[in-house]
Amino acid sequence: MKNDLIERYIYAVVKRLPEKKRKDISDELSGLIDDMLIERCGDVTPSEQDIRVVLTELGNPYELAEKYSGDGKKCLIGAPYYSTYKLVLKIVLICAAFGSAVAAVISELTSPSAVWYSAVGEWVAVVFSSVVQAFAIVTLIFAFFYHKDIKINTYTGPDSLPTVPKKNERISKAGSIVGICISIVFGIVFLFVPEVFCIVISGKPVISILDSEAIRSGWYFIVLFMLLGIVREIVKLIEGRYNFKVMVSTLITNAATVAISCIWLLSVNIMNQSFTSWIPTIFEDKPQLITTIFSNFQVFFLGVIIFALAIDTVEAVVRYLKNR
Amino acid sequence: MDCDEVVSGLILELRRGTLILLVLSQLKEPTYGYELVKKLKENGIPIEANTLYPLMRRLEAQGLLKSEWDTSESKPRKYYKITDDGLTVLEKAIKHWREFSRNVNNLLGGNEDEK
Repeated sequence: MKNDLIERYIYAVVKRLPEKKRKDISDELSGLIDDMLIERCGDVTPSEQDIRVVLTELGNPYELAEKYSGDGKKCLIGAPYYSTYKLVLKIVLICAAFGSAVAAVISELTSPSAVWYSAVGEWVAVVFSSVVQAFAIVTLIFAFFYHKDIKINTYTGPDSLPTVPKKNERISKAGSIVGICISIVFGIVFLFVPEVFCIVISGKPVISILDSEAIRSGWYFIVLFMLLGIVREIVKLIEGRYNFKVMVSTLITNAATVAISCIWLLSVNIMNQSFTSWIPTIFEDKPQLITTIFSNFQVFFLGVIIFALAIDTVEAVVRYLKNR
Repeated sequence: MDCDEVVSGLILELRRGTLILLVLSQLKEPTYGYELVKKLKENGIPIEANTLYPLMRRLEAQGLLKSEWDTSESKPRKYYKITDDGLTVLEKAIKHWREFSRNVNNLLGGNEDEK
């Protein structure tokens, strides 16, 4: 029984330690316990109670194992990576949750489930699994950085630090994240379910506004559109302020987006022809303006894109010049 | 605020570095762990075996100590001894310690020994 206590104690210490250290540490510990028992009892054979006292004096075996395992990296992700990890994780989780939530709704719309609760269950499952995946990937990347000592912030002296952004120079992270989400949703909707845009009468889709075939045949325009939007927002996220880099990247990506939109919308007719010819009948009793807009929807759409991009560009340029 | 808790945390921090210095200084001759525990205790430096044993192992891994099992006695024991690198480190550390403790004592209001 008494040996049993000592054995159990030593085993509790060494079982969490590397295989090759175990024999040595357990020999050393058993020698130590023996010395402590001799110190306590002298030549008298130690009782079970003596063993208990000595083992209690030695303390918690799990804490001892922790001390033996050294001062090395004891956590998954530690300083200085942790704060960056938290920030990136937050952004990625928001994008993953939002993107998958929208994508799941869209896939439900295209191929409806038999019953409502299976649709809800599927939606929850898709969002949950994509959030978990995003969490796992970001965590793995940062754990790898941390344990391999890969530098993510270069600091070579006080001069290498960026200046503090002035109040109106800062770019809100939320804005960029929303921008990325919108780009993703836009891409998914246009690529996979352009039928979503339709005229609904008494709860039933009657006629599709867009020509699905025409849109799908120009899929590369949509992919480019999406990528350019994401690149622009990522540059903003990384820089965090309206500086020269952000201005240049905004100018380039927005110019490219305008060019692509023009090429796309002026060469391909993305409108559903039967919808276009149907417009005057459905908007009979509505003001003339609505009929005009819908009749020239493609041009109107291009106008909206150019207008939005122009505002974005002007903002990037003005904010940069003001804060220079 | 629990002052005692703060103090015990502070003492732990203060001891941590000096323990290494003490352990290195006492291992010029081969010594086994429990012998060192007793020796330090006799000199007014109580140290738990569960702190000293892992510490000696770490110092060995750093190359400041070397160890050898002595199986000639009735009970096998692991003896630790300082290495040449350990001696160099010890010498520098002692120098630093003397200067540092003198300055600390000066700032704290005079060296007790000199009074």
